[in-house]
Amino acid sequence: MSELQTKTSSRQSEWLARITLILILVIFPSALLGYQFWLRPALADIRTIEIVAAAPEAGGFQPDVIRVAAGEKVRLRFSVPDVAHGFAIGPGLGLDWSQVDPGEVKEVEVTFDQAGRYTLYCNIWCSPNHWRMRSTIEVYDPEQPDRLPVNDTADPVIASLIARQVDIDAPHEAVTIPTGRPSAARGQEIIAGLGKALPAELQSQVWQRSHSPVEAWQTLEVVGLSEAEAWDAVAYLWLAELDDAQRQAAGSLYAKNCAACHGESGDGQGPGATVWAGQSLDQHSGTHPEEKPAAFTELRTMLGGTSEIYYAKVRRGGMGTGMPGFGPIFTPDETWLLVEYLWTFPLQSKLPSGRQ
Amino acid sequence: MSHRFELTRSLWLKALLKSRLFQPILMLLTLFFFVVAIIAGFFGTPAGSHNFSIIFVWIVWWALLIIVLVPFFGRLWCTICPIPSLGEWFQRRGIIRRIPGPLRSLHWRWPRRLRNIWLQNFGFLAVAVFSPIVLTSPSVSAWVLVGMIGLAIGLSVLYENRIFCRYVCPVGGFIGLYSLVSSLELRVKDLQVCKDHLTKDCVTGTECSYGCPWLIFPGNLERNTYCGLCMECLKACPKDNIALNLRPFGADLLVTKGRSLDEAYKALIMLACALLYSAILLGPWGWLKEWANMASLPHWAAYATGFLTANLLVLPGLFWLATLAAQKATSLQTPVKRLFTDYAYSLVPMGLTGWIAFSFSFVFVNGSYAISLLSDPFGWGWDLLGTRTVPWTPFWPGVMTTLQVMLLLLGLVFSIVITYRIGLQHAKTHTQAWRSTLPVASFLTMVTLAFLWLYMGG
Amino acid sequence: MSYERLLNLSPFVILALIILWIPLPFSTTPTTHRVILSAEQFAFNPPVLHVNRGDRIQLTLQATDVTHGFYLDGYGLQTRIEPGISQSVELTADQAGKFRYRCSISCGNLHPFMIGELVVSPNLPFARAVGLTLVVVAATLFYLWRFPPWQV
Repeated sequence: MSELQTKTSSRQSEWLARITLILILVIFPSALLGYQFWLRPALADIRTIEIVAAAPEAGGFQPDVIRVAAGEKVRLRFSVPDVAHGFAIGPGLGLDWSQVDPGEVKEVEVTFDQAGRYTLYCNIWCSPNHWRMRSTIEVYDPEQPDRLPVNDTADPVIASLIARQVDIDAPHEAVTIPTGRPSAARGQEIIAGLGKALPAELQSQVWQRSHSPVEAWQTLEVVGLSEAEAWDAVAYLWLAELDDAQRQAAGSLYAKNCAACHGESGDGQGPGATVWAGQSLDQHSGTHPEEKPAAFTELRTMLGGTSEIYYAKVRRGGMGTGMPGFGPIFTPDETWLLVEYLWTFPLQSKLPSGRQ
Repeated sequence: MSHRFELTRSLWLKALLKSRLFQPILMLLTLFFFVVAIIAGFFGTPAGSHNFSIIFVWIVWWALLIIVLVPFFGRLWCTICPIPSLGEWFQRRGIIRRIPGPLRSLHWRWPRRLRNIWLQNFGFLAVAVFSPIVLTSPSVSAWVLVGMIGLAIGLSVLYENRIFCRYVCPVGGFIGLYSLVSSLELRVKDLQVCKDHLTKDCVTGTECSYGCPWLIFPGNLERNTYCGLCMECLKACPKDNIALNLRPFGADLLVTKGRSLDEAYKALIMLACALLYSAILLGPWGWLKEWANMASLPHWAAYATGFLTANLLVLPGLFWLATLAAQKATSLQTPVKRLFTDYAYSLVPMGLTGWIAFSFSFVFVNGSYAISLLSDPFGWGWDLLGTRTVPWTPFWPGVMTTLQVMLLLLGLVFSIVITYRIGLQHAKTHTQAWRSTLPVASFLTMVTLAFLWLYMGG
Repeated sequence: MSYERLLNLSPFVILALIILWIPLPFSTTPTTHRVILSAEQFAFNPPVLHVNRGDRIQLTLQATDVTHGFYLDGYGLQTRIEPGISQSVELTADQAGKFRYRCSISCGNLHPFMIGELVVSPNLPFARAVGLTLVVVAATLFYLWRFPPWQV
């Protein structure tokens, strides 16, 4: 090859090399980032909402408010930077996508049929502030985009309690508790044996929900049952609200949303409890920083309370305690399911199926 | 020079190495991956296991380096490393062509006090002390890469040639030392030819090549330590006197010229770090990891102090005792400091096998992340090859342990043999040399047992 | 290598083979261990489990802060642990040695180093490795003494 040819071809390769360098250092990064953060979302077939889900202390759900039109199909793309989170939207939508692990990206397509305000929440314990990990989804009516969605009809049960001047946060110690574990199976027989002698109130769900097991027990004692027999009967009555399928569903709700603090066995010793107890006063608004999650296995406290009060506490949250309010997340039916399930902790025994 | 097989007898290999295209093309390729790693670190998912900058840098590249490149090919990584690329091309005013004229820079002179690897020793320790964070956080990792290339470019503007590579790069510090073991070398064929050659083109450069950027005179090259295998001298030499050879492992360990305390300390630091990492990162002691992870500043300070003390005082101190014993027990004439420095080279084979064994632990266990990463390098939810959801699966833990034991024993035997041969360089008789091997051999054995205890014992 | 050298090295080789392969009888009646193993960032509690070979281990796995996973080397056991939902795992420690258990769900930056150890006694593999090391060192030193390969 002549010297001129060598010089020319080497000049050519030099320019090629320089162009490659510019490609690598400038064109490639811009193209890559431009594609990922601008072109790809712009070309999406349906509206894609990027949601970064981090632990609350690192930002929680970003964005924290999402506006969607009713009937609009959207794609939610979750990415998780730190630890595993779970995603669900409630109330009443049945949307639960379980876990997404760090580094994974999960895409789901959702259409919200009804206008309203919904909550996107994390349902896997992820941080001491896990319960704060919520985001609002505002589904507006496309005919009236400016009207803010509201679904805040006050909860009737809570309203009724307030009207009756019942203090939801008052302590509810049982004046008497059973000496052994009551047996709901025996209770079933006892109730059957009573037949017509069973007081009318005890057959009413409304009465049962607004009175504590202790009050029911007192009613039964009057009818002539012994202490132990009366407790067995109460156990049966309180546990018979749920059939097997419901108990399964409730158990799953409990495991996902309550067990982390209240413990799998309801003893108030879940991993979140230790974490909560370790937090300082100024990390939460209340005056009882040492207050631990309620132990549902504690007969003395559980049996003195009513289902209504527990329902209210779950929906509203515990004032000044770490108990979050689940009103924005659960439907009333789900809440009742959970509350009925809670009775299995203090009154645990072989559970009968179905109410007589 | 015996037992050498000259690879450059192959005409196509020689043509490849003489081509000015060879190194730049490969450097552009590695530069591309370097840019990907930096983008991934800054814009990709913070979850390290799904980020290119963690998996492909600290697992894939590291495995390639320590298991394949260094033991067999010495400093071959330096041939294609992207970090000095931009600075070098700036100095040379071009990427491929030999542009006539001097290098472009401010022509400062590198201080004489720093013409050793002490900076690299401390640089390595500085990164090591933050390693739980550097190795696991994509953004921190990206900053380290940016810092290194920034420093390399800066030094290229101020000084001439590969100052960063030669005196600053923490990786260069140890692969230089460990390349003493490797089976590849670049040497002159006939020293007399160099002596008779007056213009020394390999150093001054020609119209189609630059002078050695590693500040070496190939005619003097007796060890691999500071030759970056850039092949400029091969392009320059008009006498075809430079060759790339295959040779027995560890051939350079017995070369006395160039042995120095900074290199000796590097050998000790590398050994200490392999032991410490095996304990901190692979052990069951959560509190130690917490301290190392900077959860609390006072705890981390305590950890850092302990780490540095172990590296700079404890292990060297124990080794010094061994060399002292070697001298006293056998009445060697050589002063202890010299013996300390020279015997430290026997730590090189064991240090290398120790690092390979340690690297197996995370390569075998976490290597499968690389498969899913090929489909989604940034953790953005891509799926280029359909392998995104391939789950994490450790490879063959049982086999791994066997391999670790075999490697450690190989390194141990090699090191003991080198100790004896170094002893021969100081002793007057075989008996004296053999006896002086014993204390250092005990030290080497204790270190091996420590590794075994960490990997298998309990 | 000449026959003389091989002959002289053979005692070491035989010793090494014995150390590596000699079956050592031992007898401990297998017991069952019930252990609550909790996973937290970034360690397991207890960090080390000591059992005898043949023992049954019933693990109740709990996560105390975030979702973790449990993977046991050599047993192919893997499960996910979410806080508040404990998992049960049962195994028989039929092999002696040290087996690491690791976290298998990304749980933070030190996740790849979240490791615990199951040590199944008698730890023969370790003992054999130590024995082998000592034999190898002795053989090397002997060889260097008796057949110095290089001239002074």
